[in-house]
Amino acid sequence: MLGVFTAGLLLGGALSATVLWLASGLVTPVPEGWRAPAAIGVALLGVARDAGLIALRLPQNARQVPQDVLQRDLVRGALQFGFELGTGVRTYVSASLPYAAAVAVLLANDAGAALLTGVGFALGRAATPALRFASGTGEEWDDRLLDRLTLLSVGGGTALACALTLLALRG
Amino acid sequence: MADARTGAAWPVWRGRLTDPAVPVLALVCGAVAAAWYAPILTWAIIGGLAGYSLSGSV
Repeated sequence: MLGVFTAGLLLGGALSATVLWLASGLVTPVPEGWRAPAAIGVALLGVARDAGLIALRLPQNARQVPQDVLQRDLVRGALQFGFELGTGVRTYVSASLPYAAAVAVLLANDAGAALLTGVGFALGRAATPALRFASGTGEEWDDRLLDRLTLLSVGGGTALACALTLLALRG
Repeated sequence: MADARTGAAWPVWRGRLTDPAVPVLALVCGAVAAAWYAPILTWAIIGGLAGYSLSGSV
């Protein structure tokens, strides 16, 4: 079932990546020299927000996928559940990192970068249930996850800013 | 021969290897390494970080 869920995630991630790539055409008037600094700046803003240094409301469709999609048909429901989570738009967005990544993809204006980010997003989402299952201690793993949420958001955002900086330096 | 997984050490190692921080550390190292050696892969790792940062959100 995790495989079907992951397939749904990949489809959803690919859809969002395609939409972001199509929308990235709108940033073509932005001078190329400004794009990387802007993406890095947004990533740093996200880190500051997740660290509690600034308060910034970000748009989100804070709705969960209804539980009954899994009750009607398990396989189809897992695919739908994965797809909707994979798009990243029908879920609670608890970190700034997805927004910063989306802005970076928009500013990159590159189909390959968008698709790879979408695939990576889906696999990143799939890692959570896979790791929880592999731990063999579901609720204890959930407790440990709560302790690590700051590391996930602040550490991940910092890594994003560093990676974007390195990409910009390498040209 | 006793299965190594049944030993007392296995649950400890299993807990460490499946700790929620492990993917973050792996992806952080991967992002920096990819930015140097395989820039296009950096985007997949950025996506992975973004997806994994939503752990616990449904």
